[in-house]
Amino acid sequence: MPRRYNRLLLPFFLGLATAWPALADEITFTDQFGRDVSLPSLAERLATIPIPAASMAVAVTGTPEPIVAMHRLSQTAIVEGILGEIFPGLRDIPSNIVGEGFMPNVEALLTVDPDLVLQWGTRGPDIVQPLEAAGFTVATLQYGSEEDAAQWIAMLGTALGQEDRAAMILDWRFGALDTMQARAAGIAAEDRPRTLYFLRYLSSLRVAGEGTYNDFWIELGGGDNVADEGFQGFNDVNAEQIIAWDPEVIFLNGFEEALTPDDVYSNPLFADISAVTNRRVYKLPIGGYRWDPPNQESPLTWAWVASLLHPDRPVAGLRDDISARYEMLYGQAPDDQEIDAILRVDINGVSAAYEQFLR
Amino acid sequence: MSLATAQGAEFASRRWSARSLWALALLTLPVSALCALGFGRFAVPPVDVLRILLANVVPIEPTWPGTAERVVELIRLPRVLSAMIAGAALGLTGAALQGIFRNPLVGPQIIGVTSGAAFGGALAIFLFGTVLTLIGFAFLFGLLAVAIVYALARVDGQAQVLTLVLAGVVVSAAFSALISLLTYLADPNDTLAAIVYWLMGSFATASYSSLGVLASATVAGSVLLWFLRFRINVLSLGDEEATALGVLVERSRWLILAAVALAVAGIVSVAGIVGWVGLVVPHIARMIVGPDHRVLLPASAIIGAVYLLMIDTVARTATPAEIPLGILTALIGAPVFAVMLRRLHLRGWGRA
Repeated sequence: MPRRYNRLLLPFFLGLATAWPALADEITFTDQFGRDVSLPSLAERLATIPIPAASMAVAVTGTPEPIVAMHRLSQTAIVEGILGEIFPGLRDIPSNIVGEGFMPNVEALLTVDPDLVLQWGTRGPDIVQPLEAAGFTVATLQYGSEEDAAQWIAMLGTALGQEDRAAMILDWRFGALDTMQARAAGIAAEDRPRTLYFLRYLSSLRVAGEGTYNDFWIELGGGDNVADEGFQGFNDVNAEQIIAWDPEVIFLNGFEEALTPDDVYSNPLFADISAVTNRRVYKLPIGGYRWDPPNQESPLTWAWVASLLHPDRPVAGLRDDISARYEMLYGQAPDDQEIDAILRVDINGVSAAYEQFLR
Repeated sequence: MSLATAQGAEFASRRWSARSLWALALLTLPVSALCALGFGRFAVPPVDVLRILLANVVPIEPTWPGTAERVVELIRLPRVLSAMIAGAALGLTGAALQGIFRNPLVGPQIIGVTSGAAFGGALAIFLFGTVLTLIGFAFLFGLLAVAIVYALARVDGQAQVLTLVLAGVVVSAAFSALISLLTYLADPNDTLAAIVYWLMGSFATASYSSLGVLASATVAGSVLLWFLRFRINVLSLGDEEATALGVLVERSRWLILAAVALAVAGIVSVAGIVGWVGLVVPHIARMIVGPDHRVLLPASAIIGAVYLLMIDTVARTATPAEIPLGILTALIGAPVFAVMLRRLHLRGWGRA
């Protein structure tokens, strides 16, 4: 009899539980598309579909523990970069939760039972609705700008109960941004080297135009992105257009594994362009994540870019900064060899001004 | 007597005017190539373009910057030649296929060769990551696609035209699905971009080595088709008439399809899928020279070369970004084809 009585009262108690005692634990925040996200308590099991979000969540918590599933390519970056060495467990976390076009695999997600799923909000409702229909709590993210990245960090801090760490990371980020902007403001237009970023080089010649994050860090570092006049986003161009632009510095993406600066130096078509004759072609490093897109290590990207664009006024002490910031982000400073690997000294070492980063 | 000489004179003058027309048509090739060489994102004065080209045969003191020479000789020249050769071969193969299938809607894409070759190329990129094996795979799978089409279409040792085309559609669809599967499996950081870009169709990466591949495959295929021009004529009358005229229908059709596969594989392997040209160009040519394949084939080749060259020149010069070739060929091809279809319908092709 008492059991029955309890059962009848259960909904009442549950209602009380969510309305009263849990109020202190309940997490509510607004995601980047203005949707209200509420969690009964701190997220302890996080599934990340946007590719840079996994390693960012690791940085915000300082441990890999909350991550229960991630995108296949998040894992590729982790295995290729240094996070796979610092946190070997990340190599084995399920990465089968997303299909082509960021379509979630709901059944795979159900088996890892996340309490919060991060998903893109920029690619239409089709990839969000299946998650909501299956009863997951979803926060949607927006990609591309520096502000977006800062919001990711803040949101992850709130959801994971790591506000202090998020604030610390953001302090560093905003401080670095101020410093870099002040530095860039002091560089006259005529002193800015013509710069080009290749998102693709081996399959086609795809360059970063206006509105891309790469355009942002080129200008922030004191360069002049030659590809930002007249076109938005990423575009395929032909070799002749590149010769016409005559870039003085070329940055190569960190995605194409086989790509090295030598591929540009040895290309007969580009033998005359300034970046080749002055040997100023560099491949983007890979640390806790690839340095090209916005991520938790972006201030290091800015310093690296700025030092290469203006070797006469470098941002001093990048190696020490990497050590200190990795200690802060991941609780472990890389050794000299690991820093060499992050900076891709083996392939970038042939280029001019790279000796500033050597031990 | 006087009537006979008048007729003879008229015949001779018609021959003469036909010859001069052909000469004129052939002359458009080097002229349009020269014009195209003068355009580009990097400014080279037209005089310098001429001098750079002439410097290869006669000694001229180089007064132009080395960059200009590199642009003209290493970037523009292989690209212009590639576009012309591919355009010529697409026009030629399209005309041959429309002839032997007696169907104005047939092009290399419809009988499965293109999809097969495209799958072969994509597979080569997927497996080896490089483009070295691409031509071999493209050719192999282009032929395989045709072989499957033929096996599917043969009933009682005979392949009816309609079943052949339907089988082509089926095989095309199957290979397209396989291509989708490859893009699904490919590494998005690396090979996926390579496959997708290559499939979209572009001459942006043209070089002398790719030109060599393109030229050898298409010239071999085209020469074969040229030798078969009489048989194409006979086959275009229909299978029964062809048999009655003593042509081995099955064997001839096989030979022609193999030649088409060879040429198309060459094109696909260097430029990806270039749609519409093989469909539209033969119609333009047929309107000008009529249905005789002895003149239709060369006319289609010349028109195809100029047509694709113009489109590719727009693709590489109109904006700083490359305009994908497939978009332009479809944008121009579809309305041209629509107009042509109306006019041809009135002339009876529709009732053929």
